[in-house]
Amino acid sequence: MDPEILEDWDRRLRGLLVAVCLLFAVLFLRLFHLQITTATDYAKESEDNRIAQRRVKAPRGLIVDRDGEVLARNRASYSISLIRGSTEDDARSVAALEEAIGEPTSYSRRSASVRLKRDVDFQTVALVEERLRGDGFPLHVDIEPQRDYPYGELTAHIIGYMGELREEEAASATGRYLLGDYVGKTGLEKVYEDSLRGVDGVSYVEMDARLRIKDEHPFPDREQAPIPGRDLRLTLDLDIQRAAAQAMPDTLAGSVVAIDARTGAVLAMVSHPSFDPNVFVSYRAQDERRQIVQDSHRPLLNRAVSGLYPPGSTLKLVGAVAALEAGITDTLSTFEACAGSLQVGDVVFRCNNRDGHGELNLLDATASSCNIYFNHLALILGIETWHEYGRRFGFGISTGIDLDPEEQPGLLPDRQYHIEREGWVTGHLMNLVIGQGYMLVTPLQVARYAAALGNGGVLVTPHFYGEAPPTQQIEGVSPETWETVRLGMHRVVYGENGTGRRARVAGIEVAGKSGTAQGPRTDDDAWFVAFAPYDDPQIAVAVVVEDGGGGGATAAPVAGAVIRAYLEDQARRQQAVSAETLQTPEPGS
Amino acid sequence: MKRELDLSLLVAVGTTIIFGITMIYSAASGSTLWRSQAIYAFLAVAAAVVIVYVPDKLFYDLTYALYAFGLLTLLAVLAFGTGEPARWLSLAPGGSLRIQPSEFAKITTVMALARFLGDRSSEQVVSPRAIIGAVVISMIPIALVSRQPDLGTAVSFGAPLIPMLYWAGMRPLHIFFLVAPLLSVVCSFEPLWQDQAPIVFALYIIVSSVVIQLLLARLWVTLSMLAVNLSAGLVTVYLWANFLLAYQKARVLTLLDPERDPLGTGWNIIQSRIAIGSGGPTGKGFLQGTQTKYEFLPAAHTDFIFSVIGEELGFMGAVFVLALFLFLIWRALYIGTMANSRFASLLAVGLGSILTFHVFVNVGMTIGVMPVTGLPLPFLSYGGSSLMTNALAVGLLLHIYAHRHEY
Repeated sequence: MDPEILEDWDRRLRGLLVAVCLLFAVLFLRLFHLQITTATDYAKESEDNRIAQRRVKAPRGLIVDRDGEVLARNRASYSISLIRGSTEDDARSVAALEEAIGEPTSYSRRSASVRLKRDVDFQTVALVEERLRGDGFPLHVDIEPQRDYPYGELTAHIIGYMGELREEEAASATGRYLLGDYVGKTGLEKVYEDSLRGVDGVSYVEMDARLRIKDEHPFPDREQAPIPGRDLRLTLDLDIQRAAAQAMPDTLAGSVVAIDARTGAVLAMVSHPSFDPNVFVSYRAQDERRQIVQDSHRPLLNRAVSGLYPPGSTLKLVGAVAALEAGITDTLSTFEACAGSLQVGDVVFRCNNRDGHGELNLLDATASSCNIYFNHLALILGIETWHEYGRRFGFGISTGIDLDPEEQPGLLPDRQYHIEREGWVTGHLMNLVIGQGYMLVTPLQVARYAAALGNGGVLVTPHFYGEAPPTQQIEGVSPETWETVRLGMHRVVYGENGTGRRARVAGIEVAGKSGTAQGPRTDDDAWFVAFAPYDDPQIAVAVVVEDGGGGGATAAPVAGAVIRAYLEDQARRQQAVSAETLQTPEPGS
Repeated sequence: MKRELDLSLLVAVGTTIIFGITMIYSAASGSTLWRSQAIYAFLAVAAAVVIVYVPDKLFYDLTYALYAFGLLTLLAVLAFGTGEPARWLSLAPGGSLRIQPSEFAKITTVMALARFLGDRSSEQVVSPRAIIGAVVISMIPIALVSRQPDLGTAVSFGAPLIPMLYWAGMRPLHIFFLVAPLLSVVCSFEPLWQDQAPIVFALYIIVSSVVIQLLLARLWVTLSMLAVNLSAGLVTVYLWANFLLAYQKARVLTLLDPERDPLGTGWNIIQSRIAIGSGGPTGKGFLQGTQTKYEFLPAAHTDFIFSVIGEELGFMGAVFVLALFLFLIWRALYIGTMANSRFASLLAVGLGSILTFHVFVNVGMTIGVMPVTGLPLPFLSYGGSSLMTNALAVGLLLHIYAHRHEY
C-alpha cells in the first residue's frame, strides 16, 4: 500500500484505540466499584437472596386442671401459602388452588408470602403437595400448631380462646409478635399469654430462586432453639366443674362458682349457656362463630365474673353480722314480730310469708329468710353501718381474680349514690338489706362472701393459678358473731323451716343461704350460697339461676350437687393416696 | 500455497472460546449444553480456517451478492420466523436446527459497507452522496431487524458505520456532524434527565452551535446543524411518547432505575449486579456461584455469562475477560492497518467495531450501565449462530492477515 495511506491508517488506529480504551475504562471502573468498593454490600444481598430466616414457633404451654387433665393443648394444623412472584403468576397459582379445592381463598396482594388457606384437611394437603406443586405452582404447605380445647364448652369461659392478632394490637404488642399470630383473646389464655407463649427460636434455610430448599441448616451456629411456653396447672377440678355444669338446669342461664374456702383457689366456675371455644381457633367455622357472637343469650359472657345480679336474700347475713356487732340483737332473743308487711315512709314492704312469721330470733329469721325481721334490724342500723359491713365483705370491688379485665366490681350503693339519683329515703335501705334495690354482685363475689361467712371472716382472693394470694381477716367482728351467723346458715339447711333443705348432702354437713332476687327478667333469679363441711369449711359455693324462681327450690340442689362432687373427689383422693402408700415397694424387697 | 496464520489472534480466540465453554458448564450445570457449544466451536473454528484459503478476490466480488442474500434471510425471518419474538429461521422440521439470520447479516452488512467506502477515495467519502449511501446500506438491515422487533441487534448494525466512515477518511469534525443528532437524541431523552431534560437539551443546542460557529465560521453550516439537532431532539420526544413498545420503554426505564420493577424487568439487572458484586476481588470459586447455581441469575449461560464469570472468578476473572477482548479488538484494528486493500482494511475495522459494540453492550448490561438488549457476549455466550458469526469474522480477519502482502 501507499506509505501515505499506511501512515493515515496508523493515525486513525490510534484514534480508534483511544475510543475503545475509553469504553473499556467505563466497564473497568464500574467493575471495580461493584467488586472491590461495594462488594460486601452485594455479598450481603446475595446471602439475603438465598438465606431465609425462619421463626421456630415455641410450643405453647398446656393448660391442665389440678389433677393434670388437659384442658388446652396444641394440635398440628396445615395451611397453604403462596410464594410470591409476578402478579400474573400469583393470580394463576391462586386460581389453580381455588379450582382444585373448589373454594375461594383469602388472597390479598400485600405481603411477601401469603397464607391462602388455613387449617385445611389432609386431602387438601395431599392435593397441593402432589398435584399443584408437581405442576410447578409455587404453593407451600406450612404446619402450624393450633390450639385445641378437648373439653370445649365445659371450660370455655375459664380457659378462653385464642385468636389472630389484629393490626392495632400488633402495634402495641411487644416485638415478638407478627401479624397473623395467634394470641390469647379471653380467659386464662389472655391473662397468662406471656408465660404460655414461650420464646420463639430462629433457624435459617438456604433456598434457590424457586424456593426449593437446598440446605436445611446452612448456619447451625446462628440458630436459636425456641423456649417452650410454661404449662399452666390450674386449681380447677374438672370433676367438680363437670358436676356443677350438669347440675345447672339446661334451659336456664346462670352461674356456679366453687372456691376453696381457705385459700380462694377456684375449684369450679360455670357460666351457662356456654360455647365451643374451638370454633374461635378454627378457620373452618366462620358461621358458627358468627352465630355465637350474635346469640341473644350471650354465651360468650362469663357470668361468674361479669354477670351482675341483685343478690337477694343471700345478702341478709351482712345485715345480720352488722346487727350482732352493733348489739342490736343477739343469738336467741327475739326482735320485732313479723306481721307479713311493714310500712316505711309511704312504702309497704312485704315478707315472703304474707301471714307473717311472728316473733323470730336471728337464727330462725335466717332459716326462714324473713324480710321484715331484717327490715327492722336495718331501720336501727342505718345505711352507713350496713354499707360499711357490705364493703368489708368485698362487695362493690373486684375480687382480684386472675381473669382481669373481664371481672366486674358490681355495685354497693351508699347514701350518696341514692342522693345523686332520686334522693335518699329509708326505703332504699329496706331493699338493700334484703339484697334488692340497686345492689349488684357477681357470683364470684358471693362465693367469696360465703367462704368468709364459713371460715370466720377470712376474705380470700379467688385465683386459678399459682400460690394463694394473701388473705384478709375482716376486722371488728367477734368470733361469737361469726358463730351465730354460721349457726343460722346451718339452720337454713337443716332447720325445720329452713329454705335450703334441698342442699343437704349425705356424708357432709352443709350450711347455706337461699335467695330469690327480683331482677329485670320475667321470673325471679334463684340464688344459693353454701359452705361445707360445717365444722371446717373447705369449699364455698355460689349458685345463681336466672329466671330460676325460688332459690331454695332451684339453686340449692345445684349447690348440693357441687358439694357432693367435692366430697366424692376428696374420697377418691384419699383412696389414691392410701393406694400409693400400699404400693410403694419396701426398700430391698 | 502456504498461508501465514495470525497465531496470536488464533490463540486469543481459542482461549476465549474454551473459557466460554467452561463457564457454560458452570452456568448450566447438570446439562450437556457445554458439549453442544464445544461442537459448535469445533465447526466454527474449522469454518474460520477455511475462509483463510478462499481466494482473496472472491470476497470482494461476492460482497454485494452476500449483502443481498443477508437481506433476503432477514425478510424470510419476517415472513416465516419462529420463536417469540420471531428471530430465528427453522432449517429442520420442529425447530431442532435453527439459525438467527440477523447474526450473519451483520457480517454481510459490514462487508457491503467496506466495499462501498473502499471503492471511494478518502476525498470522495466526505461527499454527501457517499455518506448517504453508507447510511442507506446500514439502515436497510436495521429497519428489517427492528421489525422483528429486536432493537439491540438493530442498533448493532449501525455500530460499525461511524468507525468505518472515520477509517475511510472522514475528519473528526465531520464525525461530530454525524454524531451530533445522536447526542441531541440523548440530551432530549426525557427519562434520562427527568425534569431537567429541557435545560440539558437547550444547553446542548447552544454549546454545539457556538462550537461549530467558532470552528468553521460559516453561518449556513451552523444554522443547518442547529436545525438538524433541534429536529432530532424533538422527534425523540415525539417517538418516546408515541412509537416505542411498552416493553422497550420498560427496559430503558428499568435500566435507569431497576428498583421500579424488582420482580419483573428489573430482576435481571438486579440479580446480575448482585452476582458480580458478590463475587468480590477473587470470586466465589468455579461452580460455587450461588446466584448462578440457585437460579437467581436468569439466562446465565447465554446473555448473562459475564455475570457468572464475575461471580465465580471475581474481579480478576472479569478483568481477564476484558483484557482478552481488548486484545482481540486491538488485533482486529491492527490487522486493518496491514491490509492489502482499502476494502480489506475497512472490513477489519468494521469487524473490530462490531466486536467492541457487542462486548460493551453485553458487559455493560450485566453491570447496569447499558439496557438489557439480549445481545450475546462474543465467543462466551452459549449459542451456535453467534459463535459461528464471530468465528466467520475471525476467519475474515485471519484471511486479511494472511493475504496482507498480496496486492
